[in-house]
Amino acid sequence: MPLRSDHTRWSTAAKTFHWLMALLILGNGAFALWMDGLKPSMQKINMFALHKSIGLTVLALFLLRVLWRAIDRRPPDVPAPRWQHLAAKTVHGFLYLLIAAIPVSGWAFNSAHGFALQYFKQFNLPALVEKNPELSDTLGTVHVYLFWFLLLVLVAHVGGALKHHFIDRDDTLRRMLPFGRAKRTPPTFPGDTP
Amino acid sequence: MSLTTRRLSVLALALALPLAASAADYKVGPGSTLGFSGKFQGQQFDGTFGKFDAAISYDAANLAASKFDVTVDTSTAKTGDGDRDNALPGSDFFDTKKFATAHYVTTGFSKDAKGDIVANGNLTLHGVTKPVALKVVFSPNAGGARLSVTGTLKRLDFGVGSGEYKDTSTIADEVLVNGSLNLLPK
Repeated sequence: MPLRSDHTRWSTAAKTFHWLMALLILGNGAFALWMDGLKPSMQKINMFALHKSIGLTVLALFLLRVLWRAIDRRPPDVPAPRWQHLAAKTVHGFLYLLIAAIPVSGWAFNSAHGFALQYFKQFNLPALVEKNPELSDTLGTVHVYLFWFLLLVLVAHVGGALKHHFIDRDDTLRRMLPFGRAKRTPPTFPGDTP
Repeated sequence: MSLTTRRLSVLALALALPLAASAADYKVGPGSTLGFSGKFQGQQFDGTFGKFDAAISYDAANLAASKFDVTVDTSTAKTGDGDRDNALPGSDFFDTKKFATAHYVTTGFSKDAKGDIVANGNLTLHGVTKPVALKVVFSPNAGGARLSVTGTLKRLDFGVGSGEYKDTSTIADEVLVNGSLNLLPK
């Protein structure tokens, strides 16, 4: 599999970022909903610490992904009406925004509450804001609602991908699948060099 | 000096000690603090005890007659975090219902390699008695004296943090203790 994206499919790097982050974000979200219901205990403390470490990993991956996106080529958009391209771009924009905003809001929430932030018990990260109980409550709510908003945006993202795959029967989803290969000859546009 | 006379002089000194002038007695005045510092998830937190009392007899020139006797109300520990402060008096930590006070009594004083004075004593905390050494800085002043002590202990030696709270990867075993007492003549 190519490290860099080509004309027909996303690169191994792009696919890895996409699926690994999808797994970590959804997994960490489900994990958070479960751990929140635990009775106060050392186990709960350690579960929260794990949730925070995974969230920081997502944030680090996000930064690497943005960097990679700037370097890598990308397969051209599959032909579709202009509004669909616009909708896809808007959805992708929100996804990127939320992928960064959720861990950052969690980090700020943690800081405002006055908790320590330790990455997988290895090293500590600084507080983003001063301890402030009121701000902590607000940020906690924001952190959770951003995740609900992400799920909403995800419905559009997944829905679009499935529509392309099953209704339009094009390569939009296939070229992002871990072992997917484009079935059709990719469209070429003037100025494109394969 | 021959061996015999040296032995005799040591004996004479030992006999004379109880007769030596006793050290000055002090009580705890306002502006005194007694605290501790631990580490939680790699970050230091500082706590203080709101209620404690001490009977201090001290004379730098007569350490043998000096003595610290400190009683601490462990239910008055405050660390600036509501969750932690609620947990500390509970049965997993200080268990203040069973063990309302901690008690420290010196057994003697010595000098360390740097020449600093060290108080050796026994700390009874959470029903467990273990030796704890404290570095002593004693500074006489117009109204009495300022006594600063620092030392470290291992919380698990005293069974502070039971069950899953024994996990030292989240709550460090080592705890720093510090006191800064404003001593007034008794």
